[in-house]
Amino acid sequence: MTTARTHEMLESGSSRDSRRRVWDRFMRYTALAATIAAIAPLIALIYFVTTRAIPWLDAALFVNNPLDKPSGISNAIFGSLQLTTAAIIAVAPIGILAAIYLNEYASQRLVSWSELVIDVMLGVPSIVVGMFAFMVIVPQLGVSAGSGVVAIGILMLPIVIRTTQEVLRLVPASVREASLALGVPVWKTVTFVVCRTAFSGILTAVILAYSRGLGETAPLLLTVRGTFAQNWFDFGTTMNAMPLTIYSYSGAADSRTIGQAWAAALILMVMALALNIIVRARTVNSRVA
Amino acid sequence: MGSEETTKRATKGTTSRLTGSDGADSAAPDTRPASTYALELNNVEAFYGTFRAVAGVSLKIAPKSVTAFIGPSGCGKSTLLRVLNRMHETLPGTSVKGETLLDGVDLYGPKVDPVRARRLVGMVFQKPNPFPTMSIYENVISGLRLAGVRSKSELEGVAETSLRKAALWDEVKDKLHQPGTSLSGGQQQRLCIARTIAVKPEIVLMDEPCSALDPVATLKVEELVRELAVDYTIVIVTHNMQQASRVSNTTAFFSMNEQRAGYLVEMDATNKIFTNPKEQLTSDYVAGRFG
Repeated sequence: MTTARTHEMLESGSSRDSRRRVWDRFMRYTALAATIAAIAPLIALIYFVTTRAIPWLDAALFVNNPLDKPSGISNAIFGSLQLTTAAIIAVAPIGILAAIYLNEYASQRLVSWSELVIDVMLGVPSIVVGMFAFMVIVPQLGVSAGSGVVAIGILMLPIVIRTTQEVLRLVPASVREASLALGVPVWKTVTFVVCRTAFSGILTAVILAYSRGLGETAPLLLTVRGTFAQNWFDFGTTMNAMPLTIYSYSGAADSRTIGQAWAAALILMVMALALNIIVRARTVNSRVA
Repeated sequence: MGSEETTKRATKGTTSRLTGSDGADSAAPDTRPASTYALELNNVEAFYGTFRAVAGVSLKIAPKSVTAFIGPSGCGKSTLLRVLNRMHETLPGTSVKGETLLDGVDLYGPKVDPVRARRLVGMVFQKPNPFPTMSIYENVISGLRLAGVRSKSELEGVAETSLRKAALWDEVKDKLHQPGTSLSGGQQQRLCIARTIAVKPEIVLMDEPCSALDPVATLKVEELVRELAVDYTIVIVTHNMQQASRVSNTTAFFSMNEQRAGYLVEMDATNKIFTNPKEQLTSDYVAGRFG
């Protein structure tokens, strides 16, 4: 390359150069604007929910039921926890074992097929699951917490399976080989080596599913419907839940009821957020090997 | 003399450790002559699906010796090594033909449980693979603990002897409860060796155990290999010919035929393979002319 050419290339600014810079800037600020547009509604949502809810947050809210004076949403808070906890207890062992089977034992063919089914299940709108539960489960168990548990469980199951599968896949093959080569039987390798290595991730999968189940509304509307009474552990009758409270209180005429809807929304949001933060923190800390 | 009797008893031990019958339930005492070889392979072939990766290998390995498997990449050395502790079959679609005798007992016999075979024939892998969620101590005793040994004193004793034998004790004795993965690569590999010998195998297989290590760590592992040969029969796969010449008594040279199946070219005393091999192919390989 000659010196003349170097000079020409580097130093003779052309109109094309400035046009390019304009486009660079244009792209950059358009993308920034889009990012702000994406975040703004989220911020607004958090702002509205928080400011509207805070005036109504008092002790009565957490300990009293709707018909008490002063009224509260204790039955909804503890109803949601009972429903979601019962569902996760029922679903987590099944989901984890299914994921273990698919990842450690099943043939590739079966894995592909079941992954297709699980993906479909993940994509089923929750109202469809709710309708299924209403048509098939409610006639058996009645409008009750039990029916709600089944519906929420159906929605949680694919999340548990899928996430556990991903976590088990992260366990390096060399770990399984090391165990087998020590003369450890396959079942012990799976239980005490693979699952132990992936334990933190499996717990994360369960928390993730729990957080999803906590906010499900549609299936509860069709199966549990809600009540003003406090229900402790009687899954044969109806129960209240936070999404149901939010749904029925939002349209109310008096400011106290509407305020309690905001408060329920905030509590639900904080719970889901807290669980998601736990999941995030865990996934950062639990890199396998 | 007593030595023949000892070998005979050793054989019997191997049989019962392989098949799980502890002599009491077998009516007749094992009177088969003791094998003078730790391992004897007759026409062994290994397959991945229909692809034959190892073709007709026959060889004999003397007890308490170091045997090196050398040869170009893809010549089936590692596959053959994995045949020797029944790890080959853990991959889907694989199969093995021929006879693999461990102390005269067919490793692939109908009564042999692969789990037992692997307790007798331990394996150290190319990349150090300590269990990531276990401490140094837990790693060493993992094989025993998972085999059901509960006694704390026994486990602690085995942990110390194994770490001593693996020349790692002095470096880790004060941090036994730190994660195994906190060690350096060379220490991790010696930890894996300690873990392997903790289950008291007869044979230790090593699949390029130094290829992920720096020269100093390599030297330490090589020293260790020679020390271990006092108690164990060692088969080591290596790409490094200096390593083969440094650590082994016997060297087996493998190559690939036209169908890409690995076969044994020749096996002889290590110094003979490196100075005066019978086959031209071997002398070309050890001189660095191919592979």
